[in-house]
Parts: sequence; C-alpha cells; structure tokens
Amino acid sequence: MSIIEFNNIHRAYKRGIDVLRGVSFSLEKGEVVGLLGKNGAGKTTLMRIAMGMIEPQKGIVSLFGLGPRDEPIQVKRRVGYVSEDQILPEFLRVREVIQLHRGLFPTWDEALEHDLCKRFSLPLNAKIRSLSKGQARQVALLCAVSHRPELLLLDEPAGGLDPAARREFLETSIQMLNETGTTILFSSHYMSDVERLAGRVVMIHEGGVLIDSDIDLLREGHSLVLVPHAPKVTRDALLSIEGCIGVRDRSDAMHAVFRCQPRDALDRVARQFGSTGARHRDVALEEMFIELVGGQS
Amino acid sequence: MLIVVDPHSGVPVYRQIMDQVKFHVASGLLNAGDELPSTRALSSELGINPMTISKAYSYLEREGVVERRPGRPLVVKAFETNQIHDNRINQLRESLAATVTIAKQLGIRNDEAIAVFRELLENEANPQAPDNEGKEQS
Repeated sequence: MSIIEFNNIHRAYKRGIDVLRGVSFSLEKGEVVGLLGKNGAGKTTLMRIAMGMIEPQKGIVSLFGLGPRDEPIQVKRRVGYVSEDQILPEFLRVREVIQLHRGLFPTWDEALEHDLCKRFSLPLNAKIRSLSKGQARQVALLCAVSHRPELLLLDEPAGGLDPAARREFLETSIQMLNETGTTILFSSHYMSDVERLAGRVVMIHEGGVLIDSDIDLLREGHSLVLVPHAPKVTRDALLSIEGCIGVRDRSDAMHAVFRCQPRDALDRVARQFGSTGARHRDVALEEMFIELVGGQS
Repeated sequence: MLIVVDPHSGVPVYRQIMDQVKFHVASGLLNAGDELPSTRALSSELGINPMTISKAYSYLEREGVVERRPGRPLVVKAFETNQIHDNRINQLRESLAATVTIAKQLGIRNDEAIAVFRELLENEANPQAPDNEGKEQS
C-alpha cells in the first residue's frame, strides 16, 4: 500500500480557473519526492488536499489508505506538515506551542524534541510573535517531526530562509530519513535542495503531471547542447531536430535541450548544420526545469 | 575521505560520489582494506539523501571497487599491482573521452590531436623546456 496516493485529483477555484486537472501519483514508503512547478501550478493546493484542509472536486486522496477528511485524527497523527505560510499562535511562548503538540501526539519523542531545541537554539520563553521568520519555521519543523511521522509534507519549507537555516532544515529532513525512514513529499524553488534530497521528481504543469521520474534518469536521459550563434542556427531549425524539446537564445550560444544521450544529440546537430563547434554540457535540474516549463524558477 | 558534492553541476550526485571514490582509489589516497563511511554518516555529512549514497555504493560494489562484508563497513577491494595501473589508465581514458569529443567537433585531425597531447605531456615532464607556449600551459 502506498503511503500517499493522489488519484485523478481535480480542483478549481471560484473564478472557475482549473488549477489541477487530473493529477495522479503516489509515494511508496521511504521515498523522497520533490514536487516542482511554476508559481500557481497547484503545488500548495495539492499539499492542502493531502492534509484535508481543502477537498478536491473530483478524485481521491488517501494517506496510509485513509481519507484525510474521513479519519482526520488517525491521519494527522502519522503526518508532519510544514508550509511557508504556516501560522503558529502568536501570543503563545515557544515552550507552550511545543507542549501543545506534545500532548496531541502519542508517538512524541522527547529526546528528539530536546535535540532539535538545542540544535536550533530556540528561545523557549520567547513569544512566537517575537521570533524571526527562520526561528518560527524551526519551531514549526520541530513540531512537525518530533512525533516521528511516517510522512512529511513540506510546502516550500525553506522559502525566505537564509542559507544556514535552509541547511538545518535539510539536515533535519535527512536525519528523519535516516532514523525513521520517513516518506517525504516536498516542494521547493531551491533546485539544489531538490538535487540533494529528492530521489524522484514530480513536475506539475498546466494542471497535470508533466514529469514523474527518478531524478538521475531524468538527468541522464536529457542533454544540453550549446550551439554557437550562426545565421542558420535558428530556434525553429533546432526544434525541428529529433528529440529537441526546448531552445533558449542566450548570449553565449543557443541552448538546446534534447531528450537523448549527448552523443546522439551532437550527431543530430552536426547532421542538421554541419560542423558548428557545438558542445555538450550536463544539464542541471534547474536548467531543465526552465527549459521544460519556461518559467521563473 | 574527502568527497565534495556540487548539486548545481548537472552530473547526478551518485555519479559524483562514485567518480570521487574511484579517483581516490586510483590515486592511492584510498588503499585496499580502507573503510568507507557508512551510508548514514556520509548522508549526514554531505546533506544528501541516504538512498543516493546507497546507490553510489552499490554501483561501486558492482564495478568491483569496494566489497561488502555482512555487518561491517564497506572496504576498498584489494587490487593486484597491475590492476591499480589499469585503474589509473581507465581514469585517464574517461577524462580524455570528453577531450576527444571536443577535438572531433573542432575538426582537428587525429595526428594533430596526438601531437598536442604529446607536447603537453613533454612540457609537463620538463617544465623548463624552452617552449613558451608550453610554459603557459603548465
């Protein structure tokens, strides 16, 4: 049984704009999946549907085989959730927020709680409202993982954090993976975090799943070819080559992404244009993301 | 063991780890019987998904670079002396493959490319050689 399963999820907003039009994918135990997509692609909507905070208009979401709105307590006890815009009660002290969570979760691990308090140097007596953005997110993370959840849902958890705090976040997630075998679904605009943490990526685009792939296969199955500018080297000419899925006109050269091995891509470019001085470069995930969805990442 | 991962490089992280372990073995920084850090330890140290480390390790095992013994850390496999030499040659071959591609793309003839390689090697061996072009390279 999958840890979490989205089956044909549809969700539109009041304006009648479809955000999700039939999204399906699932995570098996211990998998770490990076959820990618442009702003507004529906990543947050999907996470909220998983948490039972909103309901899909069509389709079924299940966590551990249970519906988050049918068995909210059963489900939430086994899940940890952190989002960029999460709100903690401002008038409470850090200590009180932690106590509150400790009481809600039978599996709460006090040793882990203390460990994280120390690592994050949290001011236990401070009021939530006096915390920095980074500290508040660390409190949220502590509350999300100290019951050692089977599933972590992280919605832009590092958004707005400085590099040191981001790294803490990453390391805590990795600790959960190592110690608890936690399944993780996370969204992030930081592609380097995705490369570090994710074993698989799911890319949401125009309401559906554009890509669902092992991260290494994704990279190894694509190549980036830089073709020096020349009159015959046009966007259309490149796109007409077999396997070429995206072209960007950059100052140094035309950047073309191919869905094939570098050698094949270079051969095809040479066949089209003759000797051009084209060369291959490994594609970083970020570049591929921009090529595929054309977005601001 | 020094391993550095660059998540922006475009080379899959597991391959970066494999390449560096192989390089350390070929260069003699890692010797037969040396233990590799556990998956967990390396995962925490590098801030990398532990599955990625296991993947790198199992490919290294399949390629015969390391061996797994039940309940013990992975160790670098013992090599025959000539095998160490073979490994070094293989490392060189892999690095040169990219250069060959560039030479082909630039339309350079084989004998010219070989001459350049020979020239660079010889300049490296005698850095004082009175060859201005070579001096800049070394």
